[in-house]
Amino acid sequence: MNAWVLLLGGLTVWAIHFFLLYSFASLFPGQEIARILTLAATAPALAVDALLLWAAAGRAFQTDELDRWVYDVSATGAALSFIAVIWQALPALLV
Amino acid sequence: MNSETGFDPELLNRFPTSEERPKGEVEELNRIWAAPSGWARLTVVNNNYIGIFYTGTAFLFFLLAGALALVMRTQLALPLNGILPQETYNQFFTMHGTMMMFLFAVPMMEAIGILLLPQMLAARDLPFPRLSAYAFWAYFVGGLSFFASLFFGLAPNGGWFMYPPLTSITYSPGINADFWLLGIGFIEISAIAGAIEILVGVLKTRAPGMTLARMPIFAWAMLVFAGMIIIAFPAVILGTLLLEFERALNWPFFDAARGGDPLLWQHLFWFFGHPEVYIIFLPAAGLLSMMVSTFARTELVGYHLIVLAILATAFISFGVWAHHMFTTGMPDLSISFFSAASMAVSVPAGIQVFAWIATFATGRPRYNTPTLFLLGALITFVMGGLTGVMVALVPFDWQVHDSHFIVAHLHYVLIGGAVFPMFAAFYYWMGMTSSRALSERLGTWVFWLMFAGMHITFLPMHLTGLMGMPRRVYTYLPESDWMATNLISTIGAFTLGAGILLFLVDLARNFRFTVEDDAGNVYGGGTLEWLPTGLYSTRSIPVVRSRSPLWDDPNICEDVEKGRYLLPNAPTGHRETIITSPLRAEPQYLQIMPGPSPWPLLAALFTAGFFVLLTIQAYTPAVISGVLTIPCVLRWLWETDRPVAVRTADVGAGIRLPTYVTGPSTHGWWATIILLIVVFMIFLMTVFSWFFLYGIHPRLWSAPDNLLSLVPVLGGYGAAAGLLFLGRHLLARTKSTHWSPATQILLAAIALVAAFGIDLWSWRESALDPELSAQAALTFAFLSQQGLLVAITAIMALYLALRNARAMITRPRNTTFDVVFLFMLYTAGQGSVTAVLTRLAPAGFPA
Repeated sequence: MNAWVLLLGGLTVWAIHFFLLYSFASLFPGQEIARILTLAATAPALAVDALLLWAAAGRAFQTDELDRWVYDVSATGAALSFIAVIWQALPALLV
Repeated sequence: MNSETGFDPELLNRFPTSEERPKGEVEELNRIWAAPSGWARLTVVNNNYIGIFYTGTAFLFFLLAGALALVMRTQLALPLNGILPQETYNQFFTMHGTMMMFLFAVPMMEAIGILLLPQMLAARDLPFPRLSAYAFWAYFVGGLSFFASLFFGLAPNGGWFMYPPLTSITYSPGINADFWLLGIGFIEISAIAGAIEILVGVLKTRAPGMTLARMPIFAWAMLVFAGMIIIAFPAVILGTLLLEFERALNWPFFDAARGGDPLLWQHLFWFFGHPEVYIIFLPAAGLLSMMVSTFARTELVGYHLIVLAILATAFISFGVWAHHMFTTGMPDLSISFFSAASMAVSVPAGIQVFAWIATFATGRPRYNTPTLFLLGALITFVMGGLTGVMVALVPFDWQVHDSHFIVAHLHYVLIGGAVFPMFAAFYYWMGMTSSRALSERLGTWVFWLMFAGMHITFLPMHLTGLMGMPRRVYTYLPESDWMATNLISTIGAFTLGAGILLFLVDLARNFRFTVEDDAGNVYGGGTLEWLPTGLYSTRSIPVVRSRSPLWDDPNICEDVEKGRYLLPNAPTGHRETIITSPLRAEPQYLQIMPGPSPWPLLAALFTAGFFVLLTIQAYTPAVISGVLTIPCVLRWLWETDRPVAVRTADVGAGIRLPTYVTGPSTHGWWATIILLIVVFMIFLMTVFSWFFLYGIHPRLWSAPDNLLSLVPVLGGYGAAAGLLFLGRHLLARTKSTHWSPATQILLAAIALVAAFGIDLWSWRESALDPELSAQAALTFAFLSQQGLLVAITAIMALYLALRNARAMITRPRNTTFDVVFLFMLYTAGQGSVTAVLTRLAPAGFPA
């Protein structure tokens, strides 16, 4: 996978997920459907994060300094995004 | 080692070379890169000069805005004080906030970037030096004109975020608001020009071997900073455009009675406004990371985590804009999402703070003036961050919204996150630009006065806010119990001012600008900006093999100075730098760079003239000034994109690089794409506005009656696109005639003009009146953008034809041709989407 996609993938997932959540909440204010859509969008976002983590892991044992560094940033980014996506969706369950 | 471009990385192992360089190379470099003298110095484009002009101007605005703050604090020291009348106070706080954000903070970061980056990346200069010069002069003239409005009582008075309806023509009938709208809109153009320069510069002009993993953290921060400007600033450009249209033409974007909504402004403004905070903070954090490593005398702890934190901050910062709007009645779920994101954004900031602490803990720290500022920044920023998490909690925000608590919070964040790091950077990097370092003894006094003054001012201000004192009030009653904390804040403000005054004394005593005889690496930094340099930057461009080359290779300074690395001379006889690949910094080609020129300066003066004259409603002179800008820009560009006689050049150790390259790997292509992203973001924000207003008032929208006109409009744009591809194809064919490719471009321009003309005509003939409904007003806003793009493409096509007439269009590819092709193709695309969206989107929605 392209290095830029890996580097920015996790954060992009978070951003798309966030804007979807904002759209649902704005399009269906005060309605149950907004919560359902929030959870529905969260599952694929987490799946893509897991996929990115797996793709980044392919570079974990590279000897090339840059490839190894891309792995470090990408894997941490995907993991961070995984947690952030869950955090971002929590209001749909709690509020 | 892997390769990104096909370049053999092993070739770089030939450096440093061992043979002696021929005599006269340094003299030749000095001659080529010499700055003009006397009045001609105004035409200089070298980053050393433009960077120092830029930094000096930004600091001047910091002082001016600070002086306004001192007068305001004097007014608020005691209840019912009579120093500033209410109207003047309104102008002062508006100008203070606006200047600090738009004229000081962002430009200062760009200025430091332009000053430091070429040396830090070991480039001869950033790739578009004339663009840097234009950005600076536009900012300088525009900024001073904006500030001068204060002396005529014409300064804006609606607060730095200029909310309508207060700033609508009904409640702000003078031209004060127009000064803000046109002035800031103009200064944003300058900021975007600088951002394009920095973005392409960091990605394409790094020294060979400086992979993404070895880039100085400041370069990472500036890369992200520039990217954020590209995404965020279009929102405020659109906002100012719409509000100015509403004020000048009575188009009701923000008038609820006619289908508009004042909240649209808040969304547009804060989509820019909150990332703006991080746009200011990230470069400052980058500076801190660089300095922490030097002062702790060890490598930065958690380099990859800091890079990730910078990237994460940028992304999350675009998801927090509505936390400024918690009190506007948004849906509960929406504000909860923004609250969650606002808390989350503190995580990457925290990562950086912990990395700095860990670096200090694992190193052998030295304590000096910049370290004091650095620690002061850390403490202050963390305190501001903590109150930031407090106001991210919705119920707490409701309590303190628009109170002095917020004023205290934002000053903690901005002074801790930008001002103290900036002063640390002044002390640290002064040795690069001055023949004498600043005084350590005075510096300690400066720090303690500023640090104490800052906390004496703003710590009690939290209490003032919690006790209920609102922002933006020019006085208060004695029985309100706000006097004690206000008086303390005023004493603190003057203490802070005394610290800055002392810094000015130090500056006057010790700062002596120089390019070649600088004080040097006073604090022992390990990055490339501390290599010996002249106006040509480094004598030769080193191969980078670690993040701190000066620490890891004790001979690097001598080897660079002796010309043992790349490009030790000027093989083409012109100004030139090495363009490298974005990931691994592999050498790709030699970029021929333009030298000093009066045209960027003149273009900036006329652009500024256009906006200033427009503001004071001198329409004819404004148009003349605007028209005069065009030949200046074209003349400046005329000398660029010229292949040189030498097709490839030896850059050292037998490595030859081409001197003229076209296509997607070039710096010109990248800059055009980035510019088009800016244009696209303005368009995207207009699309957001379209759906936002429809969502608020769907019943006020109607299906347009000009559906049939869609056919010729789309036909015209489609024909333009086809002609563009045909022209590009013909350029690559050796059998086509000299004029056939350029003719296709001219025909494509005619098709664009025709398609736009039909679109405009069909809307003018329709029943929709832009003064009566926001739907029609937005339609005409779309058309205004498209009209501007079409006008630019027409000028571009004529310019291309002119170059073609002078046989300056190279075959099979040409950079100017590529740029015009991309811009026109985008224009055709945006025109098509505009035509479809404005006709079909409302009709397709349920009423």
